[in-house]
Amino acid sequence: MAFWPKIRTGSRERVCNPDAVPYAVFENVGLTIGARKVLHGLTLSLSEDRVGVIGLNGSGKSTFVRLLNGLRSPTDGKLTLFGAPSAEAEKELPRHVGFVFQNPDHQAIFPTVEEEIAFGLTQLGADKTASREQARRFLSDHGFGALASSPFAELSEGQKQYVCILAVLVMQPRLLVLDEPMTSLDGLSGRKIREKLMSLPQKIVMISHDLSHFEDFDRVLWLEDGRLRMDGPAAEVLAAYEADIDRRLGAGMEVAAL
Amino acid sequence: MISMYLQGDSWAHRLPAGLKLLAVALGSLILFHVSSVWIFTGCLVAVVALYATLGREGLAQLRLLRGIVFFVVALLAIHWLSGSLDEGVVVAMRLVVMVLAANFVTITTRLDDMLDAVLPLFAPLKLFGVSPRTPALGVTLVLRFAPHLMLVFSRLREAWQARTARRSSWRLLAPFAIQSLRMSDNVAEALKARGGSAGLSSSP
Amino acid sequence: MTDRSLVHIAFYAALMAALGFMPPVVMPLAGGVPITAQTLGVMLAGVMLGPVRGALAILLFLFLVALGAPFLAGGRGGLGVFQTPSVGFLIGWPVGAFVAGWVMRLTGGMAILPASALAAFVGGILAVYAFGIPGISIMAGLPLVKAAYASVVYIPGDLIKVAITALIAQTVARGLPGALLSRS
Ligand SMILES: Nc1ncnc2c1ncn2[C@@H]1O[C@H](COP(=O)(O)OP(=O)(O)OP(=O)(O)O)[C@@H](O)[C@H]1O
Ligand SMILES: [Mg+2]
Repeated sequence: MAFWPKIRTGSRERVCNPDAVPYAVFENVGLTIGARKVLHGLTLSLSEDRVGVIGLNGSGKSTFVRLLNGLRSPTDGKLTLFGAPSAEAEKELPRHVGFVFQNPDHQAIFPTVEEEIAFGLTQLGADKTASREQARRFLSDHGFGALASSPFAELSEGQKQYVCILAVLVMQPRLLVLDEPMTSLDGLSGRKIREKLMSLPQKIVMISHDLSHFEDFDRVLWLEDGRLRMDGPAAEVLAAYEADIDRRLGAGMEVAAL
Repeated sequence: MISMYLQGDSWAHRLPAGLKLLAVALGSLILFHVSSVWIFTGCLVAVVALYATLGREGLAQLRLLRGIVFFVVALLAIHWLSGSLDEGVVVAMRLVVMVLAANFVTITTRLDDMLDAVLPLFAPLKLFGVSPRTPALGVTLVLRFAPHLMLVFSRLREAWQARTARRSSWRLLAPFAIQSLRMSDNVAEALKARGGSAGLSSSP
Repeated sequence: MTDRSLVHIAFYAALMAALGFMPPVVMPLAGGVPITAQTLGVMLAGVMLGPVRGALAILLFLFLVALGAPFLAGGRGGLGVFQTPSVGFLIGWPVGAFVAGWVMRLTGGMAILPASALAAFVGGILAVYAFGIPGISIMAGLPLVKAAYASVVYIPGDLIKVAITALIAQTVARGLPGALLSRS
């Protein structure tokens, strides 16, 4: 907490270019949390519309995507986001990068649906009444008009996750990052949300353990122990990943047979 | 929203929240220096009349006094035992009048309006580098967390009941704390991901 | 203030509210006086969050109560509760949380269990009663000694809360070390 007013010297310059291609450039990026090295030597650049991230539990997927919107900062190497070094871009990133987490109960900030949506608009500088009104319009445009004033806690899981996605979309980010957004959804809700996602103009980076979600994706990254094990067109990477899982299961059976 | 607010459109509902708050503050300041049973009797009649102007539902709100019956009885008893019953009566009447007057403001003012009325008082926070929006955001977060905490606890209790056939135990409190704290960490992350408590408009 | 601090403060304020909704336990030990769980929240806020954030959590809670949320035990709330003889205790709560957090700091070298028990006792009982008893005395027009007699029935219940606070602090320190902010 600072004890003296922060003096603003005019308006700071924007450092991010939302149209930058590629939007993320990793140069030998590593990340250490505490004493543990979680990500190692990642070198890649992202410009595709639909990028999937796969890997076993604990392979570093969540940590990797958190680098994309400044929730974590690299401890090694160089990361450039929207044309700016990540440390400088950090303040502006929430405007350009929307983030949807796995558990909707753990990301809603407000008691009602309408307030949850309106928050994004006030974050961008709208006043309270205007943002409420705009939120209501946005909700009814997306078929959620009837639920606008419902308490968030009383929605179904699918509705909750949908609201969380809308709450991020209302801020009109350029990039949408999703960390296992469909884990708690039934098949139908999962499909609906996936269709919705595929129709969006935003670029998307998504983590999922359900490989069928990546069928129409442009590119898939496979992480293993914090390293990039494979990176390429969805079909190839998914096939290699499945083969690897089969191989591990096979090896496991041999051990069991001994 | 969880509140003691009584839905309505009476004259009292329409008064600005700031004015009502000021009136209660001044009223309790003055009544604190009054010690005449007669003045308090007058005040009591007046404040009950206030409730009556809200109609039958307003009068029903007098039941909020239930919460202080224990105090009033204990107070009179102690004063009676120590031979200062006169003073006891004055204190008890003051208590009832002030509680009723303050609750009258609470039941005729929406929580939102009350919040808007007092938020300007937090403007100086800016001097300390804290966004003046912070208190309002804090209030919202509490209203969002409270029902969720109760849900987490009742789920834990079910799990406990399923395995022990006993209703509940203080042992549940520690896992409850851990589970719900983990949630609050995630919410903190989600708040940061959407631009944090200060918002995005201040930085261009 | 960081967003994380704000969320933690709001979290403990909400915990106070949730504790207020728990049914009061009638204690045979305390002569049948119903005790509520809410001072447990005061102790926990101080012990877990440290002095400043702990006190702010309780202040945020009281702010909501004043705005009209019925979050005090028994569904009480609104401006009226600040006019009753127990107002001294309400004022004592944030101070108690501050003191508890402070003791937690001072005893940095001690093991969590005894340190948090000491902190909860000094903050949650000594500091809270130091405001609560004069509060009764002033609001009810009673001499201090009589006011003290009137509140002594609650002490056994508060001692149990001290023990629970210490056990929770110790468990959390093992299961989620980062959450014991008073020690990090
Ligand atoms: N806050 C933290 N403190 C310490 N270690 C952490 C932390 N967050 C993550 N890790 C470690 O980093 C590694 C990668 O974690 P991460 O959550 O990124 O995995 P993931 O691929 O998302 O796994 P999952 O599929 O289970 O979600 C794990 O070994 C984890 O223990
Ligand atoms: Mg993960």
